[in-house]
Amino acid sequence: MAFEETLISDSNNAFMELALEQARIALENLEVPVGCVIVEDGTVIASGRNRTTETRNATRHAEMDAIDSLLRKWQKIGLDQFQVAEKFSKCDIHVTCEPCIMCASALFILGIRKVYYGCGNDKFGGCGSILSLHEKDPENLSRGNPSNRKGFKCTGGVMAEEAIALLRSFYEQGNPNAPKPHRPVRITQ
Amino acid sequence: MDWEIIHIPAKLPSSTEQAAVEVIAATIEPKLANTLVRKLNQICPLENLRHVKRIRKRIIEGQVELAVILCLSFGSSEHMEGMPNDLLQLINTYQLSPFIARVAECPALSKEEWEEQCKLWPTSYHPPSSLDGVGGFSEEDSQSIINFMKVAIQLAKPNILGGEAVNAAVIVDPMSKQVIAYGSDQTFSLPSTIIESCSHIGKEPTNSSSQPGGNSPPNNGYLVPKLTPNKHKQPYHRVSCLHPWGWTELNPYDPKPPEKCDSDYAWHPLRHAALVAIENAAARDRTLFPNPASSIKHSTSMDNLLQPDDIPSKRLKINTPENEKLIEEAVKNFSTSETTRPYLCTGFDIFLVWEPCTMCAMALVHQRIRRIFYAFPNPNDGALGSVHRLQGEKSLNHHYSVFRILAPSLEEHI
Repeated sequence: MAFEETLISDSNNAFMELALEQARIALENLEVPVGCVIVEDGTVIASGRNRTTETRNATRHAEMDAIDSLLRKWQKIGLDQFQVAEKFSKCDIHVTCEPCIMCASALFILGIRKVYYGCGNDKFGGCGSILSLHEKDPENLSRGNPSNRKGFKCTGGVMAEEAIALLRSFYEQGNPNAPKPHRPVRITQ
Repeated sequence: MDWEIIHIPAKLPSSTEQAAVEVIAATIEPKLANTLVRKLNQICPLENLRHVKRIRKRIIEGQVELAVILCLSFGSSEHMEGMPNDLLQLINTYQLSPFIARVAECPALSKEEWEEQCKLWPTSYHPPSSLDGVGGFSEEDSQSIINFMKVAIQLAKPNILGGEAVNAAVIVDPMSKQVIAYGSDQTFSLPSTIIESCSHIGKEPTNSSSQPGGNSPPNNGYLVPKLTPNKHKQPYHRVSCLHPWGWTELNPYDPKPPEKCDSDYAWHPLRHAALVAIENAAARDRTLFPNPASSIKHSTSMDNLLQPDDIPSKRLKINTPENEKLIEEAVKNFSTSETTRPYLCTGFDIFLVWEPCTMCAMALVHQRIRRIFYAFPNPNDGALGSVHRLQGEKSLNHHYSVFRILAPSLEEHI
């Protein structure tokens, strides 16, 4: 049992390393360094990184980037809504920073199985820090919805130091896109 | 009957009565005030009590008495327990005698409330700016707000393509009264033939012919097949924010996805009206101000981004002539000088027919929307008062003001 757990933790770290790689690419592109990978059956099927500066769209977080690439791919091979929902329910996402309230809601809407994240997000984290959206019960929220999906499982603190180090180097070089802050920027967690 | 604009406060009215939290404070020598405040802000910043003043000044028997908040109380009777070492050291160095004090938990919403709070411990008070409209709107502003809501309602109406009401969003620059961008729910797919026939409709209300992908000629005379009658009993079940989990239902128009799909998505579970409008506002920003603020390094990625292939779904509902007119009236020519370049949607308002869900409400925080106006509450997943109240989440880095627009006969509009 302990051996199995070690194996799982090793592979989770390997997936998080890939997510960190995406975050590094974001940093090179002067984006807030957050990256993610989506995993199905032990295989990475999509990756994403934060692109808010490039797109001038502050909702283009790493999770949204990866989700869009999957939806594009699955629709190209002709999957319908049922099949896509089925697929998402077998997918896990590994993201370097706790999903924000928007992304946590999005992952819940899609019915993703599990979220692994690196550092917490004490400003707008949606997986426990500010709201706990993953524990919501959709039955109560969407009455009459035939869906019987539940919230997703969530594990934080996976390789958090590396994720924080990346964020720190971003804020040290300064966000060229942000307006002058009213208060000094503090690194979360 | 008159329309009415109601402010939806950041806190429930019942919670505005004095809620207080305990802090640990100590009286100090006035000459030490600067040093101590600087050190304390490092050791124990009062993150969620920004409205509370760190120092209290009182005149007691003609003498000035200063007291400083050391930290939040840890709730134990032995109040030194759990204090950080740095703080304990500070207390020893300056020979402070800590005591428990009570401070107001939340910023005051009115002058009266503020005066009440200061009896506990001084706080700062920022009256709502008249620009935000929290204190009421001028006749002219009210009329403009109602008109933009009418534009949103037109976009949300069941039309020849959708057949059923959806949510719609209109992003407006209130200073110039221009529509910046708009969008409606794209959670469900349209019949593939209709997607092709209407793909020429650009995202921007103006210059649709210059949009990428705007190569096919308009086909306003397209005959629309009779739509499948609504088999669902739930009202407004196509409104994405009301039914975020409804996307798994198969589309009645299109039980099989088209064999070949030219646009990126025939449907998308997360393309709620607000997200579509934000994306269109960002696309407008990139088109009007093509030079990225940062570096030339981006130019390649920017170019790629503007390739038609990379622009997600280009379809937009065909507007009735009435809609077109309303939108045309609302849209004027954009000024494209760099000085008018927005940072995201700073200073802009958004008009939504339904209260946004949690995902959309947080997206609007990220995009720095200034004010949100909606017509119908969303009891299922509304995040601006119904289920959550994001405008009252103090930890967020941006806060918008929220208003509901009421009209006695509004239901009949949809």
